[in-house]
Amino acid sequence: MNWINGMWAEMVKSHQHNFHSKMIYLSLFFWPVLLFITSYFALKPFDLGSTSPIAEFFDPDDLMLFLLTGYLGYIFFWSLVQSAWQTSYERQTGTLELIFLTPVSRLAFVYGRAAGNLFEAVWLFSVFTVLMLVIVGGMQSIVWSALPLAFVILIVSAVIWGGFLNVVFLFSRDASFLFTILEEPMEFFAGIRLPVAAFPVWGKVIAYIFPLTFVLEMIRGLVVEGKSFTELLSPFAWLVGILSLLFLLTIILLNKAEKNAKETGNMVLF
Amino acid sequence: MLEAKAITKTYTVKQKQGWFKREKQQVHAVKGIDLTIEPGEIVGLLGLNGAGKTTTIKMLSTLLSPSSGTITIDGHDAVQDARYLKQMVNMIAGGERMLYFRLTGKENLAFFGRLYGLNGKELTARVNALIKLVELEDAQDLPVERYSKGMKQRLQIARGLLNQPHYLFLDEPTLGLDAPIAKQLRSIVKDLAMEQNKGVLLTSHYLEEVEELCDRVYIIDKGTVMMHDTPANIINTVVLDYRVIVTTAHLNETFKHDIIKTASTKQLSIEFYDTGDGTVWEVTASFDPTQVFLDIIMTHHQPIFKLEMKMPKLEDAILQLAKERSA
Amino acid sequence: MWLTFRATFIRNLITMKRAYPWSFFIGHILNGVYLTLFAYLTYHYVFDGSLDSRFQQYADTGNYLSYVISGALLYTFSVSLLMIVSRAIISELREGTLEALLLTPSSRKGYFLGYLSQGFMRLSLEFVIVLIIGGFFGLTFSNVNIIGTLVVLLVFIVSLFAQALVLGGFMLYFRDTYLTQNTLFMVMGLVCSVTFPIEYLPNQIHWIGQIMPLTHGTDAFRQVFIEGASLSTVGTSLIWLLGLIAIYFPIGTIMMQKMERHVLEKHFG
Repeated sequence: MNWINGMWAEMVKSHQHNFHSKMIYLSLFFWPVLLFITSYFALKPFDLGSTSPIAEFFDPDDLMLFLLTGYLGYIFFWSLVQSAWQTSYERQTGTLELIFLTPVSRLAFVYGRAAGNLFEAVWLFSVFTVLMLVIVGGMQSIVWSALPLAFVILIVSAVIWGGFLNVVFLFSRDASFLFTILEEPMEFFAGIRLPVAAFPVWGKVIAYIFPLTFVLEMIRGLVVEGKSFTELLSPFAWLVGILSLLFLLTIILLNKAEKNAKETGNMVLF
Repeated sequence: MLEAKAITKTYTVKQKQGWFKREKQQVHAVKGIDLTIEPGEIVGLLGLNGAGKTTTIKMLSTLLSPSSGTITIDGHDAVQDARYLKQMVNMIAGGERMLYFRLTGKENLAFFGRLYGLNGKELTARVNALIKLVELEDAQDLPVERYSKGMKQRLQIARGLLNQPHYLFLDEPTLGLDAPIAKQLRSIVKDLAMEQNKGVLLTSHYLEEVEELCDRVYIIDKGTVMMHDTPANIINTVVLDYRVIVTTAHLNETFKHDIIKTASTKQLSIEFYDTGDGTVWEVTASFDPTQVFLDIIMTHHQPIFKLEMKMPKLEDAILQLAKERSA
Repeated sequence: MWLTFRATFIRNLITMKRAYPWSFFIGHILNGVYLTLFAYLTYHYVFDGSLDSRFQQYADTGNYLSYVISGALLYTFSVSLLMIVSRAIISELREGTLEALLLTPSSRKGYFLGYLSQGFMRLSLEFVIVLIIGGFFGLTFSNVNIIGTLVVLLVFIVSLFAQALVLGGFMLYFRDTYLTQNTLFMVMGLVCSVTFPIEYLPNQIHWIGQIMPLTHGTDAFRQVFIEGASLSTVGTSLIWLLGLIAIYFPIGTIMMQKMERHVLEKHFG
């Protein structure tokens, strides 16, 4: 019970601390919409007709649907990078030390933080996406009954990813730099704008590093392509595998960080 | 009882040397400190900057593990039972950090309260009681960024009491505060020990504060305990000078001569200054010389205009110790 | 003014030497490199070089990679320059040195020019690196009109400087850099012909592109750099840029003055 309390505390605090101003919705709604529109038009110079090489992988007429689901997944993952970015603030102001002074479950803190930031960050864009799906896709071409499952997969994956990011950012001085380097490759290779299947082999290998790749494969399979869950067992297994690995890494890093902090008095692990 | 036995702390510091080379350096911040705190007692921890005060406090509060030695709190080991002991101890540091500036005072307390496992009505009741204790009722719903220094500090105190700790460590709690607020804080600390039977460890740069509050004082220097006693005993052992300043009518030479003679047999040193009001005597001795020289004045039937005794303070003791150390 | 210029230049040079803003520097370069790299991958691997029939007509060139790479190059450059100048005063505010600065009777023009000139060292390095990498991915250097390019860049830089003053004014007003700057940069990425010609966008939003120096800068740069056109061919773009300077510079100057006062009243009053 105690860890639920701790998780709840962190969710409430994240809400109070990070969503204090309406301006923040600029970055949470307006930016992803802009990114989505920009990438839609950035593909316009290419041949998107029926003779296009891309037609082999999906119907170019569904480009809008493809990008919408892609950016929905992206915003879930990206908003957690953004909120993790702010966690180094806890170290600088000394509040991290006070949290470690309490007996709260460290894991609850880390996941509470991810969950607390996630819901607030994505609801607006999620509503936008669903509305756009209705407008662009029409009622028939979307499998609406699969939508709840798709969101559950998306949320669980994003929270585990976010928890991992929080640990990395909490205990590292240069994490933000690492993500400057990794953020855009994730946007490109995870199959947000283009189908991973169209990549050359080495591109696919890079794509499979990111859990988002499998999340998107599942969402598109379930919601747009109307596949059943059993048809998607392979990406699901991959996803579970990667998420378990991230979960394990989160626990190991947390323990190591606290131990290190007790030895050196320094909350920076690397 | 909280008991620290022969605790040491050695940090390994990596010094950057050019681009890739790093030199490892061992810094011995604490080199073997024994320390006890009984419930209901206020214990002072004094030392010059870099003496190892903050490191010691962090070890006692389970944030740091000692490199060697043991810390037990009511029989529990501070390294093994760290998670359990976190319910029993808390730390309050001075300064303006360690709060969420965008959250209100109340929200800050609610957050940390939940991390201590408080919930529902119990949490609300605890938070409200603490806000009342530190007199922040009017500001409880303002974001902390709009608090003054003193208000932030009081909020820190409230945070430190959230888990009703049995032992409380105060690291410079009155740093930079106005006199009336500092006084108010001192009375809160006193009550915590006397009425709620908490064991308190206090470090402060304001030695009068330590002298006023503490039952016992540890003076540490370069990571070891230099002296440990009650404030009064420390002053008595360290400060050897008592000063009394007296103003009498202008003295004639024979009288002066007589006094100087008595003074030298009693091993007092006296200096005279003539002022418009009369003669000022400044007497310094290694014991309280009041009696001796009141006797002299009495035998000469001289009126005393003014008598001032300079009692040595803890501050004098520390200054004296610092002087001896550097000598 | 000259003294202020020198003082600011030297101070920033020292700061840069001691604590080089590596993350900004590499971030900007990566931004340009990623745009280039991903355009290359998309073009060659995903679409096999097949372009939309309207591209040639909209872009005045059939060379997609040169088009995107030069867009990426100038986009990166603009973002960098806008950030350096617009963040100057608000950085002073955050570091607590603004009061000390405003106490001196120094020239604000000298201050900003000093800032820009020092930042220019970093900018040029970023520019050259992205340019060279772009060369590997298909940017053509064979037709470059060197004098034309230099003239276009010079006018472009001045227009960005003017725009940066306005941006800086908004930053001071909102007391924010992150949201303000990135919103602008994302809008620029959409409406300034960076990765696709503005003509693909609905007509109703073309005007947003028209008031951004980057749109005219990339247009002119592509003509003189890729196509080797003469300056007279890019006359319209240059006139647009000069016009934007004439509008943004006075507005920016007045905004900065007003905001300095505004900030002082808010923070020290």
